[in-house]
Amino acid sequence: MRFRLRFVIGTALVVGAIVYLITTAIRSTSEYYLTVNEVAARQTELVGQPLRVAGRVKPGTISWDPGTLTLNFGIVAIPDLNADPAVKTVSTADPASYTVTCAGEPKPDMFADSRDVIVEGKLDATGHIVATQVLTSCPSKYKPAQAK
Amino acid sequence: MPDLGRLALAIALLLAIYSIGSNVYGARRSHPEFIASARHALWAMCAMVTIAVVALWTGLLTSDFSLEYVASYSSTTLPTAYKFTALWGGQQGSLLFWTWLLSIFTSIAAFLNRRRNQEIAPYAMAVLAGVAIFFLGMLNFVTRPFDLMAVIPAQGTDLNPLLQNYWMAIHPPSLYTGYVSATVPFAFGAAALLTGKLDDTWIRTTRRWAIFSWFFLTLGNLFGARWAYEVLGWGGYWAWDPVENAAFMPWLVMTAYLHSVMIQERKDMLKVWNLALIGLAFSLTIFGTFITRSGVISSVHSFTQSGLGPYFLGFLIVVVSGYTGLLIFRAKALHSPAEFESYLSREAAFLFNNLMLIGIAFAVFWGTIFPVLSEAVRGVKITVGPPFFNRVAGPLALGLIFLMGVGPLIAWRRTTASNLVKSFAAPAIAGVATGVIALAAGLRAWYVLTAFSLAAFVLGTIVVEFRRGVGARRHMLAETAPKALINLVAKNNRRYGGYIIHIGVIVAFVGIVGSSFFKTEVKKSVREGQSFSIGAYQLRYLGLSAFENAHLETATARLEVSRGGRVVTEMAPAKLFYKREQQPATKVAIRSTPFADLYIVLAGLDQNGQATFEVFLTPLVFWLWAGGLLMAIGTVVVMWPNVRERAAIAVAVRGAAPVSIAGDPAPGQ
Repeated sequence: MRFRLRFVIGTALVVGAIVYLITTAIRSTSEYYLTVNEVAARQTELVGQPLRVAGRVKPGTISWDPGTLTLNFGIVAIPDLNADPAVKTVSTADPASYTVTCAGEPKPDMFADSRDVIVEGKLDATGHIVATQVLTSCPSKYKPAQAK
Repeated sequence: MPDLGRLALAIALLLAIYSIGSNVYGARRSHPEFIASARHALWAMCAMVTIAVVALWTGLLTSDFSLEYVASYSSTTLPTAYKFTALWGGQQGSLLFWTWLLSIFTSIAAFLNRRRNQEIAPYAMAVLAGVAIFFLGMLNFVTRPFDLMAVIPAQGTDLNPLLQNYWMAIHPPSLYTGYVSATVPFAFGAAALLTGKLDDTWIRTTRRWAIFSWFFLTLGNLFGARWAYEVLGWGGYWAWDPVENAAFMPWLVMTAYLHSVMIQERKDMLKVWNLALIGLAFSLTIFGTFITRSGVISSVHSFTQSGLGPYFLGFLIVVVSGYTGLLIFRAKALHSPAEFESYLSREAAFLFNNLMLIGIAFAVFWGTIFPVLSEAVRGVKITVGPPFFNRVAGPLALGLIFLMGVGPLIAWRRTTASNLVKSFAAPAIAGVATGVIALAAGLRAWYVLTAFSLAAFVLGTIVVEFRRGVGARRHMLAETAPKALINLVAKNNRRYGGYIIHIGVIVAFVGIVGSSFFKTEVKKSVREGQSFSIGAYQLRYLGLSAFENAHLETATARLEVSRGGRVVTEMAPAKLFYKREQQPATKVAIRSTPFADLYIVLAGLDQNGQATFEVFLTPLVFWLWAGGLLMAIGTVVVMWPNVRERAAIAVAVRGAAPVSIAGDPAPGQ
């Protein structure tokens, strides 16, 4: 039985180490994943925090300088298709939108007006998002845009 | 054809239902003719699903746009090869493909067990049919591949451009084969629990299935990585995206399973653990499909939301709770009297190997579902990116590599100190020497130094093992060295095939570490004739050429690559534009050498002739693929039929006392 106990202790140590690794890594690598409206709701507390923001490219706002690899555009909230029309009274005023600058990265292939994107970066004090990366959620054909 | 396909799927569902009843009745009342009838029903089910697959293929190849599936995932201009692969390009088709593989594997398992394992095989077939019923139910009622269009379009919407390359023909079938074949060992495990025949019959019977599944999961993951590397154009091959994680978790669990079943075969221990692992592996294949199809977790290359989530979740809950219930119900019968005796034993090394593999799998699971958990608990979606996975998996991988060196060389039960010194002196010296050389070469990152030292240590232990075996044969049988080596591997294919896999893992690991730590990147916008450099390479932009056909437009940039003033080669990254989807895509140019890959992306073009390139120099990434190839070769060696083993199974199946399969004093793999 002595060995059984020693094995339980050894196993517990390994499991403990794994749990420790997971918790510390979560603490130091987590980022908020927010929609444009959620950013708008808590803008002041988010300034300077690492963020991932899901939004839609505002049509007509894209400017791309291939020389300096600088991409500027605006994002707006992705309209919620499943929203219950009866509840839709809250946010009819001014829809939230943010300007985004991403420098030093090539423009993603799928990037275009009205595409859904995920912007990774930080919000500065003026309400401008300085992005380190812009990801396009690819309009995958796994469910086509209502071909029916 | 659509009617035929629909009808075939409906009949297949009825046959699956019938086979469960007939199998269970036949087994309970000992009526072999009912079991035979159930077997025939499963074969007929397989034939029906095959007809449905052929019908859908016919629709795709003849561009029958009255079928919604064909209109959504194909077009008249799509090259024929991709019309074939479009079978698994969309949701309904990929579920049909899954079901097809499942029905084929079920038929093979039914055939192989037609005369043996009469106690558990009928129940295993019933479990397999149960899984088939779920998928056939989905195909018949929820996501139907043979739905028709209300208005027949003149042209289809085409296959996603990212799926239009040859990896599409290789990667999904490999991964699906790996996923689906894991169902067979699971079914036999469940059958062992159902019948209470809890010895290791189920493990022996399905050992090859498990290795087969692992083989294809390994290939599937590697092909996926290679696809991402060649096609997506971001210079990497693994991003810890939920879709990748979904394929990686079953691989980790199957790896743990393949190691821990050896303890049960040798020592009759860890019975509950092994049954739990195979249950977990199967559940993770369903979970993977659930998270990629449900939209619960957002992935960058998302398989956009669909209504399948709740069905898969429901099925998952049924499987997990039912299986856990069975495990609890049989807990007493599963108690094993044997115990661990020493930390310095092979079973202890295997135990800790299992803990680390499952630890990594758990971390990957946790990181993948963390956004959902944080939203449920704290009301905010919080994501963890690749840094999280790297920080957890990195150290655990080092631990696993270390155990990989230690485990095979220490004895079962316990090892003496003198034995340890004898076995490990040379490999330890090799490891330390490698570390010192790396340090002298200017490497400073502790992780890289540790990783390379451990890699050398493990390779050293494997060399020691091969030398020992070859030496013994030369000494006792007076064989020449090459002949001794060949016979050694041939006669003990499980063990030495396993070592070959281990060498592959080490080689791949070195490739992963090298490519992660030493990658450099340059982004540059240049005009024709201008040059720029990365590492030791100079790149000169020579110009652009255009090409156009009915399907796509291509703009190809030509770059002259030189090194030390000498021209090495010319490379041609391209930008593609798919007309049907109005969508651009990237064609990467890669020059691969064992030292480093030069990877060029044509990132942008503008009107005044300026081209933007993104160039990566990734050292050692070549070895990741080379290691993968070695793993595949090793697995084939392991699976190779072994006369001694077959005899042992025949004896065991006839109900004699359990026989040691390997007949070798200390078999490893």
